[in-house]
Amino acid sequence: MKERDNTGWIFVLPAVLVLGLVGLVPLITVVNYSFFEIFILDARFWIGTEWYEAIIGSGRFWASFGRSTLFSMLILSVQIPLGIAIALCIPRRKMWVGITLAVVALPLLVPWNMIPSLWLALLNPDSGILGRGLGAVGWPADWKLSIPHTWAVLVAMDVWHWTSLVVILCYSALTTIPASHYQAAAIDGAGPWQVFRHIQLPQLYHVLLMAVLLRFMDSFMIYTEAFPINAGGPDGATMFLAVDLGEEIKAFNYGPSAARSVIYFLIVLTVAYSFSKAQSKLSERQAA
Amino acid sequence: MKGTTGLIRIVKAALLLAFVVFVSLPLVQMTMISFVATLGHPDAELGAFTLRNYRGIFTDPNLRSAFANSIAYVVINICITVPVAIPAAYAFSRLSFVGDKHLFLAFIAFRITPPVVLTLPIFQLFSSLGIVNSVFGIALAHCLFNLPISIWILQGFISAVPREMDETAFLDGYSRRRFIWKILLPLIAPGIAVTAFFCFMFSWVEVVFARILTTTNGKPISMALNALFGFQTDIGLVMAVTVASMLPGAALLFAMRSHLSRGFKIGQV
Repeated sequence: MKERDNTGWIFVLPAVLVLGLVGLVPLITVVNYSFFEIFILDARFWIGTEWYEAIIGSGRFWASFGRSTLFSMLILSVQIPLGIAIALCIPRRKMWVGITLAVVALPLLVPWNMIPSLWLALLNPDSGILGRGLGAVGWPADWKLSIPHTWAVLVAMDVWHWTSLVVILCYSALTTIPASHYQAAAIDGAGPWQVFRHIQLPQLYHVLLMAVLLRFMDSFMIYTEAFPINAGGPDGATMFLAVDLGEEIKAFNYGPSAARSVIYFLIVLTVAYSFSKAQSKLSERQAA
Repeated sequence: MKGTTGLIRIVKAALLLAFVVFVSLPLVQMTMISFVATLGHPDAELGAFTLRNYRGIFTDPNLRSAFANSIAYVVINICITVPVAIPAAYAFSRLSFVGDKHLFLAFIAFRITPPVVLTLPIFQLFSSLGIVNSVFGIALAHCLFNLPISIWILQGFISAVPREMDETAFLDGYSRRRFIWKILLPLIAPGIAVTAFFCFMFSWVEVVFARILTTTNGKPISMALNALFGFQTDIGLVMAVTVASMLPGAALLFAMRSHLSRGFKIGQV
């Protein structure tokens, strides 16, 4: 049991102050702006919830919402199983563990604005390794004109960029399983699937919840990487939520972009809340 | 039985190998381009092997200062994040206080808030504080996502330290502060290194805050890379800078490789 002690607040106070400054204060500013029509920041007038009504009522918002949801679902359905599988494949020998993890984590070190450039170079039909290979098997060089192909490139790029994080998280959880569990399973004659189902997977639940949260939210709000691949095209088919907001900010529409930001933050809060609910449910079940 | 174990081992090795190849492909492409002259130069033919892209990094003062800026803001960010995160992680791991669960929820919410949502007000706030166009501004803005992640990682490490350690120390007359300083910190030293590494990793590659907070000065590598794109982009130079930008991280990654996977043992708050 944890100690019941309200001096805990003294320990978290510095963190609260820093996040208050870079998180809460800007958030309140945004909420405030979202109710105004703003031409320049000194001249604004109250218009109530007009921006919100315009955004919620627009087909464009719901279309991007749908696209972002679909993208996140695709990303999760590839990255989570793949991440678990790769984590299970990492060899036991200590020397190989370190090298494998270091190589696998390399994509996390590429500056985000360079990731689309790397993939465009890779897919270049004349000089790219993948572009030439795919050309040889008949993948059309004009993938930018095809909605499914542009989506495939985006998903492949994100899988390349972020699966490593899932691998590292899962692998770290797997290393906490005591050897005695495996020995007991071997004595019971458990096959590999049963070992995975009853010993490894339960140990992964907490970490997977965090991985799902991070990967869901970051892919749902994908911004830097998504736009340069095909400028939101073809035909706006890869305009995601955050890309929409970015365009609004670039156009200096303070009011509407603030309202959009608030709506996005409400989505964030909902997700964070369901995450903490799921986490406490999981803890209860494991305690029982 | 022996047969299936062998088969599984082969399948595992093949899957891992396929993944490593997939991960390496864009990196190999990048490295190949970085050694090729992609614009015609008097001393290097178009498409010929050359080292001039890498030489270009040292001769361009903008690129040199970009590397210095990136290192500066990442170091400042770690110096803010880690000392602030340690006591918070201790509190979340060991103490139960009013509103602890809600506070943790709020921290997580800030971690998953997309930076683009807060760009405009953070820019205004930081201009009124006079810290735009400086490495300090970026370092502070990056606390938004690094601080919650750090608290979470450190909390895992602290929770792995048995609670009996605390109790014995208190019986021996240690105050809480002295216990943290003298006993807990040395025990979780690998955790602090892992945390610092993750701060480095998430901060080094971030673009959105880095862009809006550096319009004239203090540009990090990612923005210097952006500036290289233009009417005639020397893509070889771009790739060489990208390779160079990954080297410090890769060195850290290699040094940290055996600690990397430890410490995500998530306790619940």
